[in-house]
Amino acid sequence: MSQIIPHILNGLSLGLLFALIALGFMLIVGVMELINLAHGSLFALGAYFAMMIISPNLVWTGAVGEFWQAVPLSLRYGLAILVAPVMVAVVGMGLEFCMRRTYGKKAEYGLLMTFGAALVIEEAIRLVWGPSEQYLQVPQAISGAVLFAGLIYSKYKLFAALFAAGAIVLVWFFLERTPYGAIIKAGAHDSEMVRALGINLSRLRLLVFGLGAGLAGFAGIVLTPIWGLRPHVGIDAVIPAFLIIVLGGVGSFWGAVAGGILVGLAVGITGAYASEWSLLSMYLLLIAVVSVRARGLLGKKSALEA
Amino acid sequence: MDALQAIVGRWVSREMLLFLLVLVTLPIWIEPFGLYQYLGVEIVIWMIYGFGFNLLLGYSGLPSFGHGAFFGIGAYAFGLFQVQIFENLLLGIMGAVAASFVAGAIVACFLSHRRGIYFALMTIAFGQVFWFIAIKWHALTGGEDGLLNIPRPALEVAVTSVGLGSNVALFYFALSVLAVVIVVLWRLVHSPFGKVLQAIRQNETRARFVGYNVWLFKWAAFSLSAAIAGLAGSLFSMAQQSAYPDVMSLHASGIIVMMTLIGGGFVSFWGPAIGVAVYFLARDVLGTMTETWLLWFGLLFVLVVLFKPEGIAGAWQQYVGTGSHRRVASLFRLGRK
Repeated sequence: MSQIIPHILNGLSLGLLFALIALGFMLIVGVMELINLAHGSLFALGAYFAMMIISPNLVWTGAVGEFWQAVPLSLRYGLAILVAPVMVAVVGMGLEFCMRRTYGKKAEYGLLMTFGAALVIEEAIRLVWGPSEQYLQVPQAISGAVLFAGLIYSKYKLFAALFAAGAIVLVWFFLERTPYGAIIKAGAHDSEMVRALGINLSRLRLLVFGLGAGLAGFAGIVLTPIWGLRPHVGIDAVIPAFLIIVLGGVGSFWGAVAGGILVGLAVGITGAYASEWSLLSMYLLLIAVVSVRARGLLGKKSALEA
Repeated sequence: MDALQAIVGRWVSREMLLFLLVLVTLPIWIEPFGLYQYLGVEIVIWMIYGFGFNLLLGYSGLPSFGHGAFFGIGAYAFGLFQVQIFENLLLGIMGAVAASFVAGAIVACFLSHRRGIYFALMTIAFGQVFWFIAIKWHALTGGEDGLLNIPRPALEVAVTSVGLGSNVALFYFALSVLAVVIVVLWRLVHSPFGKVLQAIRQNETRARFVGYNVWLFKWAAFSLSAAIAGLAGSLFSMAQQSAYPDVMSLHASGIIVMMTLIGGGFVSFWGPAIGVAVYFLARDVLGTMTETWLLWFGLLFVLVVLFKPEGIAGAWQQYVGTGSHRRVASLFRLGRK
């Protein structure tokens, strides 16, 4: 039994990271009823932007880049983790702007459109940063290993889980305790009514998409030191994200968090017995849950079902 | 005589004959265009795949993002049959079709009461399951490398035997399969069955209230479409002489959606064929000019979704329908003055 505990811990921290990936996806699905298949590409884009800030290409930036390289890594990393999500948010807003033509049509068009966008962003990454595997530097302070209860644990994974938990709490606070969150939730519930109350719905959607994209970018920065950074890393992010949302129930904040942790636990525990097959468990979990509960664990009726 | 004409008219159309005529002559003119015979094989195989897929996407309005799984199952089943059991062309193809039909039928049991986005999401999940199994089950599938050295068995009709070793021979074999698929599908979509599928696409609730067993129709369309994908997959494993998990990935499954949509599968029976031809020509023509041709193809796809969801076939229909071709012609006359 005691052998399983590290796997459960591993699963929990993985679950928090999965929940972090799913958060931005959840926001966009909840408010706009749009499955953003470009989520994974925005995730990858966040990591690439961060890499660009942390270790800029000296050929392009010249002396400024050389000066910046001399600045301590922790400072560069800190700036990257703040600025790169904003840059991704801007890209996301641009995407939302293009998406406007598909509103009011069948939901499949949104899906197709974001699939195309995902392909375009991935190819653009390949064009700019090349197809090979790269890595994102992290400061000394949060890399290396820690000993915890006789177990060696990667310090960065611990920090990543903390980052994820922090982001989840912040998003919860934003959604539940601020007037903006109330408007977003109201927009998810009944967008007609929100518009009737004089709130600019298209600006709301732009902001929500930006926020969702920014969260995707943030998740990318947190996760790529663990997963590695390559142009198609996004696919590893978007699949769990949509699994978690469907599992947890569309538009439910706690559903996304619970779904993320469940998927993390399933992957972590099956990893103990059959590491080769561990990722299969999340698909089987989804199929099992959705066969019984069509709306996922905590989902309410959604317009997506129609 | 008229009765005969009526029967023939139900099974074939003028466009069909024209389309097949163009393809029959393809081995003669493809090389002078600077392309190669194998491209023809690929195009024909993906057209089979696309026509089968459009039964689901265009006619029933069910977007499957996991159809690569059935294409892959067909390819693996054909390869395993040839390598593990014995070399036989037609039995191998039948085995592949049966395997993908069974897989599709099982998946369809989980999917047929879903619609819209939830349907699409579940197809992604199932597609990923099959893709994952194909990668991980080394003993059966050969893992990421896949099955290698799959033979191209000879076609045996009565006492004669025709080798399919050359790409031209394989092209004509695949083309005859395509011809059968087109005739059957054409008949099917113009039958009462096809009309019900279109009714489901337009309004599923209404179709149910009229009294159709919507679940069964969706199940049948999905299983049939999966079987055709498997048929295409078996030909593909012959063409490549190998079967590998790449064709089952989400990326590959998405590409067939793109092809069908760009061509105009929503408004025309011929949409998938146009889309497949455009995709492969783009790959080979743009691909020689730039490494990132998929970027430009993706942009084209995004533009089509945004501005012309009816695709190339839809644009053509509109162009002919509104008489704008005459207006364009008059513009040219103006220019000449």
